[in-house]
Amino acid sequence: MKSGASFRLVMATLAGFGLLIATLPVVVIVIMSFSGGSNLDFPPSALSLRWYGAALNVLWGEKSEGTMSAFSAMSTSFMVGAITMVLSVLVCVPMAYALERSRGRMRQWAELVFTLPIVFPLVVLGVAYLLMAEAISRETGLELGLLRLAIPHLTLALPFVLRNCLSAMNGIGVDLEEAAMSLGASPLRALLHIVVPLMKPGIMAGLIFAFIISFNEFTVTFFMYTIDVRTLPIWMYSRTVSSLDPTTLAISTLIIALDVALIAWVDKLVAGKGSLF
Amino acid sequence: MDTHLETRALGKRFGTVDALADVNLTIERGEFVCLLGPSGCGKTTLLRIIAGFEQASHGDLLLDGKDINDLAPHLRGFGMVFQSLALFPHMNVADNIAYGLRLRGVAPARRRERVDELLHMVQLPAIADRPVSALSGGQRQRVAIARALAVPPKLFLLDEPLSALDAQLRDNMQIELRQLQQRFGVTTVVVTHDQTEAMMLADRLVVMEHGRIQQCDTPTQVYRQPANAFVAEFLGAANLLPGTVRGDGVIDLLGSSMRSSSTLAAGTRVTVSVRSEDLKFHAVGRAGSAEPQGIAGDIEFVRDLGAKSELIIRCGDERLRCHGGDAEFRSAQVGQKVALLIDAQRCSVFAA
Repeated sequence: MKSGASFRLVMATLAGFGLLIATLPVVVIVIMSFSGGSNLDFPPSALSLRWYGAALNVLWGEKSEGTMSAFSAMSTSFMVGAITMVLSVLVCVPMAYALERSRGRMRQWAELVFTLPIVFPLVVLGVAYLLMAEAISRETGLELGLLRLAIPHLTLALPFVLRNCLSAMNGIGVDLEEAAMSLGASPLRALLHIVVPLMKPGIMAGLIFAFIISFNEFTVTFFMYTIDVRTLPIWMYSRTVSSLDPTTLAISTLIIALDVALIAWVDKLVAGKGSLF
Repeated sequence: MDTHLETRALGKRFGTVDALADVNLTIERGEFVCLLGPSGCGKTTLLRIIAGFEQASHGDLLLDGKDINDLAPHLRGFGMVFQSLALFPHMNVADNIAYGLRLRGVAPARRRERVDELLHMVQLPAIADRPVSALSGGQRQRVAIARALAVPPKLFLLDEPLSALDAQLRDNMQIELRQLQQRFGVTTVVVTHDQTEAMMLADRLVVMEHGRIQQCDTPTQVYRQPANAFVAEFLGAANLLPGTVRGDGVIDLLGSSMRSSSTLAAGTRVTVSVRSEDLKFHAVGRAGSAEPQGIAGDIEFVRDLGAKSELIIRCGDERLRCHGGDAEFRSAQVGQKVALLIDAQRCSVFAA
């Protein structure tokens, strides 16, 4: 009995410590964003919403210094996120289908290849994409536009989206497709009527993951951004470097709120009734 | 006769293994045929080739005299019930049943009529709007059957359709399935490994083993006159006993001799198949009874099955299984000495 109690104490302490480390940065930033002071002293001496006012003003307010670029950075972020979302699902749904139906070694190899971006140093990935993008615009003169960021983001999102789509394919047996075919559906119709609807929760979760990954991405984007194409994290970084005020922290808190809402949505999609939220 | 489906020298190779070899089968219009055999005998492969999910490696598959081996499954117009049932989990009962109609562009109102008609036919009215996940095993089974019959199929194929049901329900479904097939008059092919089910359902049994048809005949004929030892053993727990032909149809068996109609040459080693319910015996050594004729044996095991008893009788090196409900069986005791009587009329003799 006694040893059981001390075991529980140790476990609780470790869990608490882990939780603290995981949430501390977020907690600090959220507290600081409500600071009443005009510097970054922690803990803040007073609380206020003034930096949220400043953040909204920077993003949507009257045209003043930095306003346009912050707003355009945000809209670029949303657009790149949307493109990454659509591209990753267009790639991953057929891929997951093909991998799941062709059992054997190919699947393991493909999964390994698509997991590589996770273990690559992001800086190296950034350099690689920069070299490729420069080569493409030099050789062909093509203007890549938003794809300049969306394609590297796609690489980073693929492992997560593919995994979601693969697990979504898991319970969908060939017999369901065969049943549809025996009832007169062509293979393509069987896919669209049976497989895709059943994959829907996984596809939605993949879409949201892709968006979050793209929206938060910094390292690779830092290599790839141009004057015309830059995202909110890049804008926040340059703002923080030039002037240290809690405005960026208020923006961060808004982004964190968005991320949490999206993750809660994913959880609902994937876990169904056993969802956390 | 009106041939509906025919296979000619059909074969299927997986790598170096012949899953099917030299399958010649003719199915009449409106006939109910059961493909029967142990797992791995090729029966499911044959059904999948008929359905179009596998392609034969060689041979012809003819529907109404036309070769359909290259026809895609969705163009064949066959209704199929899968072993897993394969109901679409994201559709309710009505949408599952109406899927084939929807693909053929039938108007929603007409679809609904047909769904109600079919649900009535499988005795499940008023469940049309339920999700598939809310159905019991027996209900799923019926919905799967209704779905396969919604667009009247040219051929009705069923892959181990009742294997997931418990014994009582399975029994009822067998009767219903048979009645349904007769009402629709649809040519039907069922795959099963359950010989009782096959006997109950089919007009004709196709007994398969090692990718080949061993026997193809009515259930009664297959049961009474098995073509070989495998068929005899697979259909109804026959005892297979080694014997030797002595000449003139007399066979040495278990140290005794038996007269049979066999025309095999003297000296041929044979396997004699005797069904467990065709064995009779007398107790020996009981006071006052005359020494009866028969093969000497000992009762090794007795089991009361309610209406019948099952015994295992040892004769020399052979152990024979017997079933019966008469007084001799009722009073049988383990260790009892008996004289076993084999009715030559009811035996089948195969060259070993």
